[in-house]
Formats: sequence, C-alpha cells, structure tokens
Amino acid sequence: MTVTKRNILLYFRDKSALFFSLLAVIILVLLYGTFLGNLISDSLPDFPAKKWLLLSWIFAGILAVTSVTTTLGAFGTLVEDRSTEANLDFYASPIKRSALFGGYVMSSIFVGFIMCLLVLLAANAIFFFSGDEMLTVLQVLKAIGVISLSVISSSSMILLLVSFFKTVKAFAAASTVIGTLLGFLAGIYIPIGNLPAYLQTVIKLFPTSHSAALLRQILMEQPMQETFAQAPASAKQEFLLDMGVFYEINGDFTSPLFSVLYLVGVAILFSILAAAFMNRKRS
Amino acid sequence: MSKIIEVHHLYKSFGAVEAVKDVSFYVEEGSLFSFLGTNGAGKSITISILLTLLKQDAGEVKVNGLTVGKEDEAIRKEIGVVFQQSILDPLLTVKENLDYRARLYKMTKEERPAAIERVAATVDISSIMNRRYGKLSGGQKRRVDIARALLHQPKILLLDEPTTGLDPQNRKQIWNTILQLQRENNMTVFLTTHYIEEAANSNYVVVMKAGEIIAKGTPHHLKSQYSADRLMILAKDSARLRRQLRTDEVVFTEEHSTFLIHLEKTTDAIVLLANYEELIDSFEVQKSSLDDVFIQIHNRKEDLHRDDCYEA
Repeated sequence: MTVTKRNILLYFRDKSALFFSLLAVIILVLLYGTFLGNLISDSLPDFPAKKWLLLSWIFAGILAVTSVTTTLGAFGTLVEDRSTEANLDFYASPIKRSALFGGYVMSSIFVGFIMCLLVLLAANAIFFFSGDEMLTVLQVLKAIGVISLSVISSSSMILLLVSFFKTVKAFAAASTVIGTLLGFLAGIYIPIGNLPAYLQTVIKLFPTSHSAALLRQILMEQPMQETFAQAPASAKQEFLLDMGVFYEINGDFTSPLFSVLYLVGVAILFSILAAAFMNRKRS
Repeated sequence: MSKIIEVHHLYKSFGAVEAVKDVSFYVEEGSLFSFLGTNGAGKSITISILLTLLKQDAGEVKVNGLTVGKEDEAIRKEIGVVFQQSILDPLLTVKENLDYRARLYKMTKEERPAAIERVAATVDISSIMNRRYGKLSGGQKRRVDIARALLHQPKILLLDEPTTGLDPQNRKQIWNTILQLQRENNMTVFLTTHYIEEAANSNYVVVMKAGEIIAKGTPHHLKSQYSADRLMILAKDSARLRRQLRTDEVVFTEEHSTFLIHLEKTTDAIVLLANYEELIDSFEVQKSSLDDVFIQIHNRKEDLHRDDCYEA
C-alpha cells in the first residue's frame, strides 16, 4: 500500500507526466473537434439523433484510449525509479519484491481508473449541456465496470512492456508512439468499417478495441434507440458493425460477454507473462 | 567488542570480470569503519552484497549474526543506508518522503511522526521539513538522506561516498553528524570513500584495489607502515652540499634548489642536520599525509603486479 500511495502522489505531482499521459487524449479531442468529427459525420447519411449518437461514440473511444495512456503514464514511475536507481532504497528495505511490484501495478490501475472516471464525468456534463439525455445510473455503473476491466487488462500488458525499458527517454518515446497507434488499432480515429480487411483483423485482435466496443454499447444505448426507431434491422446492424459497436468474427457477432472474457483472458495471460519475465530477469 | 559485520572469502564476477576476489574483513560493533578505494575498486559491489541487493558467487557474509542470502529481510532492518546518489522523491516534501519510507518498516501511524521528529532533530533538518526534496541544496539533501537511513534505528549506518560532490563546509557538517552518531549513539558506521583524509577519522581502514584488499589497519598503523617522512634542505652552497652528501653516500634527490632526503625515522633528521649544519640555510621535516600513504600503497601493489608479469 505504501508504494501504491507514493506512486499515485508522484503521478499527480508530476505535472508534465500527467500532461503527457493525457496527450493522446488531448490530440484525439482536437482531431475530432477540428475535422475527424465532420469527416465521420459527412460519410454517414442523415438520421435522427445523429450528433448525440456520434458524440457518444467519440466519448467511448476517448475513454478506451484514456484507460491505456493514463495507466501507461503511471507506470513511468517504475521506469524512472529504475533508471535513477531510486528502487535500490526499496530493495534495501524490508518489503517483499512482490509487494513493491504490486504497488506499481495497483497505483497505475488506480490512476487509470480515476482519470477514466473524470472523462466519464466530462462526457455526462457535455451531454447535459448540449441538451441530450445523461447516462442512467445503471449505464454509469456498467461503464465503471468496463473501465475497471479495461484498466486492469491495459496494466497487465504495460507491465510486460515496461520490463523492456531501461531509460525514461526510451519509455517516453514508446509512450508517444503507443498513444498515437492506439487510436488506429482500436478503430477510434477512423471507424473500423472504413478500413481494409487486414486492418480490421488487427483491430479485432487488439484488446483495447473490445473495451471500446463495450463502452460504445453502453454509451450509445439511448441515442441508438432514437436513431433506429424506424430504421430496418439490417441498416442498424450494418451501422453498428461499421462503427465497431461489435465485431464480426468468423461470421458470428461478438457478444458483450465475449468482449469481457477476451479482456479478462488478456489480463491473465499478460500478468503471467510479465511475472515469468521478471522472475527470469532477476535470477 | 563483538564483530557486527563479518565477510569471509567473498567472490563476485560479472561475466569474465572478477569484481571482488577473495575479500575478507570484519567490522567491530560501534566502530567507524572506512572502505577506501578508487572508483571501480569493488567497494560498491561489496556493499551491495552486504545490503542484500546482489548475490555473491562464493563466500559468507554475516550482518549482526544474520547470514546474507538466508535472512535478508531481517538484515534490512539492521542496516540504514545512505546511497551515493540522492534516491528520495524530488516531487515530495522532506516530511512526505520520510513518512513514506517509514511505512516500509511497518511503523504505525503513531510511531511515524515520533520517528521523523527524532531523525529530523539528529541531522538538523526541522526547518526544511515542508520543502520539496528536489529543491534542496546538495548538503541539505544529504542530511535528509541520512535522516531517512536512521528512521528505523538501525544498528549499522552504511554510507556510500557520503560527501562526494559536496562543498568543504557541507562536507565538514556531514562528517560532524556522522561522528556524533557513532560516538553518542554507539552506532556502527561503515562508509566508503575515495577521500583519504576522511578515512583518517575512522577506527579501521580497508583499502581495496581491483577487487582485492591491498591494505588494512588503523589509520595510524597504515601511516607508519606505508609512509616515510622526508627532510627538505635549502643549502647555502648547493655544490658543496651535493659533493658532501655524495661522499657520505646519503641518498638524495634535488628539486630546483631543494635537497630531498628520505627518512626511515623522523629522528634520523637530527643526525643529518648536525652533520651538515654549516651548509644549511633552512630546512623542513615533512610528515607524509594519508594521501601519500594511499599513493604509496597503490604504487607498491602495482610494482608487485609488474614483478609478477616479468616472472610469467
């Protein structure tokens, strides 16, 4: 717990790290605001509640990106401790290595969770001010559940990733690249339906795409009812597939349960890999 | 006095590089022990093993009766360490830093403020408790580092080059704190340094070079064993003195217009001065400093190595 608290405090005190971990999110907001939003909107025919639906779609994407980049940013403490040899002080103290690493993981999960909650809050505020319906309590609870899962699975992947970085510089560079790629790999900059088949496959495999899909299902629930009230079922299905609300794998559509299990599986797999890798490195 | 640290036949290699080769020494409880050597001599590796940060290849290390590698967690409670580089969090205040580190020793909410107050008074940092560690001067940082090392009231205080990079005034202050801790709290102080004059304060000195111990003893012992004094003479008539010394078969060297004569004992100077009294304008007997001793030890060892090479 000690290490967890210290890391969380460090993350929020380090204004530049805080900014950089949100950089990908800021870029995303700017891109949507300047042209991506219009681009996506123009590519679609007019339909009821279009603005509300797209705004919900965008927020689901932003949340998915936030869950990765803020978690990644919080792991910067681990890389920095290692490069400045500040970790020696922990190693020379009577705490277990597992408690130390647990501290890094817990703090990044906490940071990711808090930052996602803030984004969720912002989304709700914007829905409120633009005169749209806010999310229901149940939807908020569901979203929090998905956020937790997404943050945990991101954190397990990042844990494996950070074991490869020795310097803060290398880690910062990698973070920027990941933050940028993330938007493409999870079908957030450009909807999956507008991309070639091979990229679609990559997106379907990428875990964050499943966080994004789950969040879209929750956030877009109300506007979808309005939009597709009079639309044929086939048009609805085509739209949802194109926008990555769910995915088609081997002719079947992914259910929410499938995406949840996929994220759980990723979390378990990468935790095991990271633990194995660290044990090997120590001996 | 009992031995609080015992090192027997320690070996550690990194690939083909033998960083520590058959090192054995012990530290008496309550003493001030200096580990002397140039950079890369193997000091840091040895203390990393003591601190349970590194595993040795062979040899036994005991800290307060506990065996390194078997009772690591207990050993970590016995040692307080001041690392060479500043390792506390620059973005946190001094108080926050100390509080988080105190938690590592499972101190309760009630114990922590008392411990922090105690160490702050010891190293005199009470006035900077709410300042960020990153904004402190080098000397202030060092004092906070020492405070952190004292939080859990360790039996042994281990300092890795504690005064490197500090200005003379801060160095003196840090030294006073260290000496005070040793004397008043009967703490065992183990420090590494490459400043020989700092080692002069200690009870026992071990000199390391290239992974091996090349000399050990009290500072006084090392001085008398490795150093010699010399007589400096400024002659009235250089030519005559030179001739006279040659005829008497006295070994000397000349530097500018000064004659330098190597002395086995300081009192040898009396005889020489009496013999050449009328030729001497002025003179000086120079006691060798620990610096000379250090250089002497190093050179002798190098000579030994060179001889080895010739034989092989």
